[in-house]
Amino acid sequence: MGHIQLKNVCKSFGSTEVLKDIDLDIQDGELLILIGPSGCGKSTLMNLIAGLEDITSGQIVVAGSDVSDKSPKDRDIAMVFQSYALYPTMNVARNISFGLEMRKVPKDEQDETVNKVAELLQIDHLLDRKPGQLSGGQRQRVAMGRALARSPKAFLFDEPLSNLDAKLRVEMRTEIKKLHQRLGTTIVYVTHDQVEAMTLANRIAVLKDGIIQQLGTPYEIYNDPANHFVADFMGSPGMNFVECIVFEDKLVIHSGSQNYQLSVPCSDAINRSGLDSVLLGIRPEMLTDLKPHENNPYIHEVIFDVEVIEPMGGDTIAIGKWNDTEVQARLSPESGEIADKGFKLQVDTSKAIVFDPLTGQRVR
Amino acid sequence: MNINKIFHINLGRTLIYLVLISFAIIYLAPLYVMFSTSLKDIEEIRSGNLLALPNDPTLYAWGKAWSSACTGSECNGLAPFFWNSVKIVFPAVIISTIVGAFNGYVLSKWKFKGSELLFGALLFGCFIPFQVILLPMAILLSKLGLSNTVSGLVLVHVIYGVAFTTLFFRNYYVGIPTELVRAARLDGAGFIDIFRHIFLPLSTPIIVVTLIWQFTQIWNDFLFGVVYSGSGTQPITVALNNLVNTSIGGKEYNVDMAAAIIAALPTLIVYVFAGKYFVRGLTAGAVKG
Repeated sequence: MGHIQLKNVCKSFGSTEVLKDIDLDIQDGELLILIGPSGCGKSTLMNLIAGLEDITSGQIVVAGSDVSDKSPKDRDIAMVFQSYALYPTMNVARNISFGLEMRKVPKDEQDETVNKVAELLQIDHLLDRKPGQLSGGQRQRVAMGRALARSPKAFLFDEPLSNLDAKLRVEMRTEIKKLHQRLGTTIVYVTHDQVEAMTLANRIAVLKDGIIQQLGTPYEIYNDPANHFVADFMGSPGMNFVECIVFEDKLVIHSGSQNYQLSVPCSDAINRSGLDSVLLGIRPEMLTDLKPHENNPYIHEVIFDVEVIEPMGGDTIAIGKWNDTEVQARLSPESGEIADKGFKLQVDTSKAIVFDPLTGQRVR
Repeated sequence: MNINKIFHINLGRTLIYLVLISFAIIYLAPLYVMFSTSLKDIEEIRSGNLLALPNDPTLYAWGKAWSSACTGSECNGLAPFFWNSVKIVFPAVIISTIVGAFNGYVLSKWKFKGSELLFGALLFGCFIPFQVILLPMAILLSKLGLSNTVSGLVLVHVIYGVAFTTLFFRNYYVGIPTELVRAARLDGAGFIDIFRHIFLPLSTPIIVVTLIWQFTQIWNDFLFGVVYSGSGTQPITVALNNLVNTSIGGKEYNVDMAAAIIAALPTLIVYVFAGKYFVRGLTAGAVKG
């Protein structure tokens, strides 16, 4: 029903190519997140799917029919905008029913839908109000209600939570996830917030410079990023990147006035690549307090000169240097309190990945 | 100290009020003179007390100005010309406002290649002096067979007014988020639906501004009125001029004054009743949609 296929979609504004040859197959009922830095073309891609802008070349297929040249109203897709875009002179009920009204749905059927949607989103007590009299979260709900009312083939969400305060954002995020599980409708969701992406997505497409850098499940994107950009973009605090010299099949780091040789899972690939130095990528949660462990070749004990600590509550980020590059470790709050120069760090390289320092591509 | 302070403030205030009141008197004095003179009879005017209140107020001058004063060879007062003006002003104001609203809607929300250029060209229309277009317009009107007609004058005012009304509406609509248009398009609304259901209900302030502006401009117009009208189709401003310049026997200042007030009354009333919307509308457009 809500199967969306993008085939070789290109979009340029004048001579600027915004999207280059996008191929994307969004399954029925899937929640796909488009994420990327501002200007990467993610909102443009969304507008193309909605039909608000015309594709330069390629094809967009929704539920088996080519909609590339169809106007937005004939694509049966609903969209929730970043600014909500509620009609300011209409009350909540009419905002929700406007799409039905335009599609000449009988009045009693409209009312029925409005009530059903309002109940689902818990805005039934607000139906007579104007958007100006609503709070940010309520407007957000109305905007979703307007999209739901038409029961379209797919929903597009364009950074829907970015205008809410932090707490409300988390609440609404959960609510959107519940809603998706309940309705099972295809959702394409644009965001630049990687936490939102990780928590909501069935699959994530990471976009940069109009090219999909990687398409995969949140687990794949986080643990097996395709290149330096994806690894850097996803995760908070971000992945540590340290340029290391390759010695035999180990990586050399200098930490706390000592040199260490770290073994990594992809040592064969490093040897094959013939690189003298590589970029080591390791997430902060792999740099921890000493913990009991089995005899594991990927666990190293490293002296770490902690320069700054940032308590986050649940854990504490300790910042120091490896090879003169800033590195973040994730310590328990208790260790964080005592962390200082010469702190003993446990480094687990079993999930460490390695990049070519010049191209940023994975070595594997 | 404290008493001094209060005294000080009061003195300042008093000065401000004095200045304001004296300026108000200066500005209102002509209106007062016109009004009181229009209520005097000619004997009293001749006695020379310009500023005195009428001894024996009479509506004679008003009646004459309205229905029997001579404007050239005819002596039917201002009444027929007043209705001419009404017949010119109403269609011209309404048509130019509607056209302006549509233009503004398109130029702000449905931009096309060259739309900015078109808007620039339209803006240019605001700055063309009336005198420049007199002759070409006269030729155009005669080609259309509209010379010396009320419809011709309506057309002239619509053409000249569209530049301003477009400017008003375009600048107002630019402040309304374009995402509303996108949302409505996804909801299945077309070009006209979006205008009717979303933009029009938001437009009250700018419509009021445009109506007042156009009403005042067109009602007060003299140049187009005198150039493009025939003997029976003159607007009230032209008739007022003729009335004042026609004297049979002595000059009847009271009739002149009454006639001038009659000619000015509609715009005065519009300002008194809608002036606050005018100011509100102008600022509303500037802040947010």
